[in-house]
Amino acid sequence: MSLHLDSPTDTNAILAQLDRSRHAGGDPGTRVVTMNFVVFVDDPAHRVWVLLRAQLVAQKHPSRLIVLDSTNATSGVEVSTATRENGGATIVNERVQIGVSTLDHRSIISLVHELSVPDIETVLWWSGARLLQSRTFSGIANHAGTVLVDSSGKARGEETIRELGEFLSWFPSVALRDLAFMRLMPWQDMIAQFFDDPALREDLFSIEGLEIESGSDAEALYLAGWLGSRLSWEIAERDAFRDRSGRRIPFTKIDKGDQRRVGSVVLRSRDSVYRAALSEADPHVVALSVEGAKATAVRYVPLQNVGNTSLIERAILENAHDRIFETSLLTVRELLG
Amino acid sequence: MATEVTLRAPGAAANPLRAGLDSNRIVDPCTIVFFGASGDLTKRMLIPAMYNLRLGDVLPTSFAIIGFSRSDKSHYDFREEMKEAIDQFSRSGPAKDPLWSDFAERMHYIQGSFDDVESFKELKRQLEENDEKLGTAGNRLYYLATPPGIFATVIQQLAAVGLGPKDQAQGWSRVIVEKPFGTDLESARALQAEVTKVFDEKQVYRIDHYLGKEPVQDIMALRFANVMFEPIWNRLYVDCIQITAAETVGVEGRGGYYEHAGALRDMIQNHVMNLLALVAMEPPISPHADHIRDEKFKVLSALRPIAEDEVARVTARGQYGPGLIEGKPVPGYREEESVDPNSITETYACVKFFVDNWRWADVPFYLRSGKRLARKHSEIAVKFRGIPHRIFGEAGDQIETNTLVMKIQPEEGVSIRFNAKIPGPKMHIRGVTMDFNYGTGFGVVSAPAYERLIGDAMRGDATLFTRWDAVECAWVAVMPVLNRWTEPRQVDFPNYLAGSQGPQPADALLVADGREWRRI
Repeated sequence: MSLHLDSPTDTNAILAQLDRSRHAGGDPGTRVVTMNFVVFVDDPAHRVWVLLRAQLVAQKHPSRLIVLDSTNATSGVEVSTATRENGGATIVNERVQIGVSTLDHRSIISLVHELSVPDIETVLWWSGARLLQSRTFSGIANHAGTVLVDSSGKARGEETIRELGEFLSWFPSVALRDLAFMRLMPWQDMIAQFFDDPALREDLFSIEGLEIESGSDAEALYLAGWLGSRLSWEIAERDAFRDRSGRRIPFTKIDKGDQRRVGSVVLRSRDSVYRAALSEADPHVVALSVEGAKATAVRYVPLQNVGNTSLIERAILENAHDRIFETSLLTVRELLG
Repeated sequence: MATEVTLRAPGAAANPLRAGLDSNRIVDPCTIVFFGASGDLTKRMLIPAMYNLRLGDVLPTSFAIIGFSRSDKSHYDFREEMKEAIDQFSRSGPAKDPLWSDFAERMHYIQGSFDDVESFKELKRQLEENDEKLGTAGNRLYYLATPPGIFATVIQQLAAVGLGPKDQAQGWSRVIVEKPFGTDLESARALQAEVTKVFDEKQVYRIDHYLGKEPVQDIMALRFANVMFEPIWNRLYVDCIQITAAETVGVEGRGGYYEHAGALRDMIQNHVMNLLALVAMEPPISPHADHIRDEKFKVLSALRPIAEDEVARVTARGQYGPGLIEGKPVPGYREEESVDPNSITETYACVKFFVDNWRWADVPFYLRSGKRLARKHSEIAVKFRGIPHRIFGEAGDQIETNTLVMKIQPEEGVSIRFNAKIPGPKMHIRGVTMDFNYGTGFGVVSAPAYERLIGDAMRGDATLFTRWDAVECAWVAVMPVLNRWTEPRQVDFPNYLAGSQGPQPADALLVADGREWRRI
């Protein structure tokens, strides 16, 4: 059931429409809403991608989805509810999509507050170009429990990561999640696998070089930041770390491959080279190898890539601070200078 | 005594890159040996489960698989056969390179008879070769996917060739035993005696795939991770508990086995009794396997013994005749392959138990399981007592008693039935349902039980496996019924139609108590 309103700022009318829409399909019985899911989008090229994933998440988790569309593609307000039967119960999902391109930040923030269901978690997925420079972002983030961003992609870069670093000190009580970092978990696990073997672990403390190939900057920076923060490396210069013994560790970032994807990670120790690289036969498999003094046979590991929708769900379900991410982010911010 | 070699403590704890990484990977290297490798269970469940564990990157870096069976085939044939099995039965679709090749290279096959010591010597040679070439470090997991009558023979042969854990210089050995563990109390005790000659109890993993199901594990979470249920989880508030394991399938070509088993042995004595233990047990002091299993044992040991002369009053049995399942005609049990046309084997069993302890005194636990019933449906229903004094509701309104249902399959979740006021000026009351479903609640699909359980056995986590004392208690509890039911006498079988709610005597059993079954 979908209904349209012309005025995006008349929240009473929007809520009334929502109520009518909810009851249009009959009595929904027990109604459960577990979160306010606020989604901001301003990139026309990215809009459908974002809206589709937001909808998929909202369908799974009973929620009030508030879409703030700043792309000019939405005029007025679209109000809709969807119901589905599930084991005898009726699950209701509510969606309010508002065209906000002509609204100032105060109006948008006020809309979000008035349309949110009180006393439940608010999750903000911000896909806007600007973060802290946007007063809308700051205003909504201030009232959110979790903020989700994606610093990866063409329109993103070092500036986004710098801003995220600032975010941590501006909003210490808000759980920040970056899809770009969350996507790296399989790679982090594979790198860690090399050193689960006690015989190879010492090499972790004699790394002499780091090389990461990826299709966009954020992945390489985050992986380097993660390694640096885990191993207590300091920043030597923009493209090099320094370990606890003062040894310089050059960091080479190779821009190659698909956006948001890592192609390979190479760690060089004093006498061995640890390489995790996408298999040529199957891009969903990574070949792990050690060459040199501690050489081992190639081991194939399935790349446990998690879809973006699932990553968003994970961010929502784990609504707490991720200290590993936060220390990695601060390391990257320091690296960028 | 063998020294256990484990990489877990130094491997996981001391690697600084592991912090915050949520990995399910099994650390200890290991060879898993499937006895009965040509059987249906291996093809349909076990090898696809192993491959999915590999795809999920759960298997350890160094692992190997050995199939052991009577059929004559080469390593190559075995690998091809298992690839076909994965292609057909794996939840993740056909096997693909390079992962399949890597997986296949770690699979070997030993052709041999279970009573031939030479075959076991060959198995030993292959295990030692795996340790040397594949780095499996002397760790062995033996999976007895054979007919139950062969369990003891396999274990004796392992000991005979020095593959018992007491003979190991390094590494661990564990054995997974499929159900049924014995066919009655006496045979179970005899089997246990044979098993413990070779393996310590801590090395024996009695598998009950029901326990690997996510909703079964959630029973403990629901009870002990919430504060609102435990205060009413007792005789003061609970009227009765109904545990149902209903199937629509018949004997599926296993008539030969089922003729000697029946629903009581096949389902009630193991799966359903395990559910009873989980729902009735006291809070364990920790999630440690033995703490949980201690509590389960206490419940089963508190089951009120059923005197043989009261069997007819507290039990009911049935056998399906021809009928309709999902609109299609199906034959009766006596018309199934390898089934005696005059069979008196029960395909439906229900038993009323009492748990004689402070918490559950006089609360009946009704257990039922049957084949060819109206719906595939397993659940535990906790039915609460009625309100003490009615103040709401118009004269015609029925005030239902509250029910909490833990849904195990095919739906997985929890529902609560309670009363609510129908909107309007009058105080009409109606029962409503509040539902939680795993799939939609968490947006994830539970892994099949065998993946979870094989992984746990490789990790050495026995929480979801049944300890001997519980198995023994369950046999003690059902033996009077079994003895009565196996007496040669005239039985009015078949007594329920395929596709129905079950036999009339089962309904009568509850009606006599002033209750009724939940609909299947």
